[in-house]
Amino acid sequence: MKGPVLLVEDDPSDARLIQRAFGKMDSSVAIFRLTNGDEVVSYLSGEQPFDNRNAYPLPCVVLLDIKLPRRSGFEVLEWIRRHPSALNRLPIIMLTSSRHSVDINRAYDLGANSYLAKPDTVPQLEQMASEFQRYWLSFNESPDLHGSPNQLRRS
Amino acid sequence: MARQSSLLPISTARSSIISDEVFRLLVNNVIDYAIFVLDPEGHIHSWNKGAERLMGYTSREIIGKHFRIFYSEPDLTANKPMLELQTAKASGDFQEEGWRIRKNGSRFWGSVLITRIVDNNGKLLGFGKIIRDLTERRLSDLRYRLLVQGVEDYAIFSMDANGYITSWNVGGERIKGYKPEEIIGKHFSVFYTPEDQARSLPEMVLHTAATQGHFEGEGWRVRRDGTPFWASVVVTALRDEEGHLYGFSKVTRDMTERKKLLDTIRQHSQELELRIQEREETSAELEAFAYSVSHDLRAPLRAIGGFADALREDCAPTLGQQGLDYLNEITNATARMNALVQDLLEYGRVSRINLSLGSVSLSEAVKQAIDQLGSDRRGSLTVDVPAELRVESHPQVLAQVVLNYLTNAFKFHEKDSTPAVHVFAEQHDDHVRLSVRDNGIGIAPRHQERIWQVFERLHDRETYPGSGIGLAIVRRAAVRMHGSCGVDSESGKGSTFWIELPASKNGAER
Repeated sequence: MKGPVLLVEDDPSDARLIQRAFGKMDSSVAIFRLTNGDEVVSYLSGEQPFDNRNAYPLPCVVLLDIKLPRRSGFEVLEWIRRHPSALNRLPIIMLTSSRHSVDINRAYDLGANSYLAKPDTVPQLEQMASEFQRYWLSFNESPDLHGSPNQLRRS
Repeated sequence: MARQSSLLPISTARSSIISDEVFRLLVNNVIDYAIFVLDPEGHIHSWNKGAERLMGYTSREIIGKHFRIFYSEPDLTANKPMLELQTAKASGDFQEEGWRIRKNGSRFWGSVLITRIVDNNGKLLGFGKIIRDLTERRLSDLRYRLLVQGVEDYAIFSMDANGYITSWNVGGERIKGYKPEEIIGKHFSVFYTPEDQARSLPEMVLHTAATQGHFEGEGWRVRRDGTPFWASVVVTALRDEEGHLYGFSKVTRDMTERKKLLDTIRQHSQELELRIQEREETSAELEAFAYSVSHDLRAPLRAIGGFADALREDCAPTLGQQGLDYLNEITNATARMNALVQDLLEYGRVSRINLSLGSVSLSEAVKQAIDQLGSDRRGSLTVDVPAELRVESHPQVLAQVVLNYLTNAFKFHEKDSTPAVHVFAEQHDDHVRLSVRDNGIGIAPRHQERIWQVFERLHDRETYPGSGIGLAIVRRAAVRMHGSCGVDSESGKGSTFWIELPASKNGAER
């Protein structure tokens, strides 16, 4: 049983449109939305109010915006990749309105698995949701996030 | 002393001792020194080759004559010859350098040594006299001194080993305001400010010159009247042949005017740097602004467009035809605004300070632009760009320029006409001109300047849609890539838009 998709998006309109697009897909994977960077850290750490892993299971993939309140997407990404447990394997996909090469390169430098720019129209968004689901939720094999930390992990 | 005893036999008696004879021959044949003997009254008793050469008299002419004939009229009036003999008689010898007269009346500068000759009982037998011709050295010394004395632009003076001034020139007087009699004998630290004196700068200068041979520096010094001046200073240690320090020479130049000029230039450059920095900051702010536009301004646009789409999809039956028409208006406006924001961002991008330029293949850039044309492309498009042409530019920005030209070339046509667009390029000397010619509606000459401004439009949006930024991007890009752009057109006869860029020097590479 796959964990949910963690959608980290502070803009309620964007979040709603993304969730609507994903809702149209025929998928058993849930989408759980968080609105700022600190919440992601709390969620993944299993801290209050996310201390119940049955209610808040580890995600299979994170859709991460860059511009977020409190802790930016880059900071969250860095926190995850430097995590001392196997959690650092968690697939992270940036989903942002920035098409800046600076942002794109930084995301990959910090260890993002993919970088998606938010589409401007609903049909494009729906197409992206569909492709995302096909690739990341069915074809892609998920790593074990519970094991011991990666021996090859970069410092 | 040895000299005295050796000379004795020559003057007393014609000794037959070999060594005395040898010695006499030696003295006789010395040619660089005039060596001769005077009797106690000053009559010439002997004469060597050197004396003949220097003074011009043969021994026959001179022996028996009084040595006063070597002196000038003023020296004779002052009774100099006899005073010299009296000095030598009293103290053993007399030494000086001075002018003497040759047989032909010419003067020479002689280094003179007169030595008293006495017998074993202390009775005066006469005088030995040695003269060396130092005219050349004297003249060059004199020339040098006159030169130094006469230099007005430099203060040139000498000091003893402790820094007390021993000579002074006109330049010193002019620059520092002291007359020679006021300053000679004083310590050179009087030229320094009280602060520099307190931190022993004068001593450090002498120490550096003494240990390293010379000292060079610039700094504020003080004139006699207390006014400061900016001095460029060279102090050189003076050492005798054995290497003993006997003093220093110091050359000081008044650089106050140049210092002021340099300070002004430095101040200007600092102001300029500040302005550049401000401009860079402004540019960075603009970039931050553009970034924020891309993120914050587009988010609500996505929401408007997105929910309009959602409304159309989810609620079409209840909206009715009119409702759907309104929705289309919203969607179109949203798309327009998106394009506008995109173009503004592009305009901001080409305005950025650090546009790194390199050798770019013109045909590649044109190909890239054509690939991006999409549905704008209609009618015919012919491309005539030699593959070897390369220009100094930025690949993406150049492609953007070409794309903007192409988009316009296909856009501005009468409704029923078929566009025929021709892209061509040629090299003129060190520039390459790329032209995009169309058979469209053309531009009246009076509009041909306005079109390059941001948000300038010649037509209403319904006839020819667009943001009104495309050509402003081109112009900005052309300037940023050290090129130029323009248009040749007449109303109704099509337009040829061109951009000219510096040709790459090594076109064959890359």
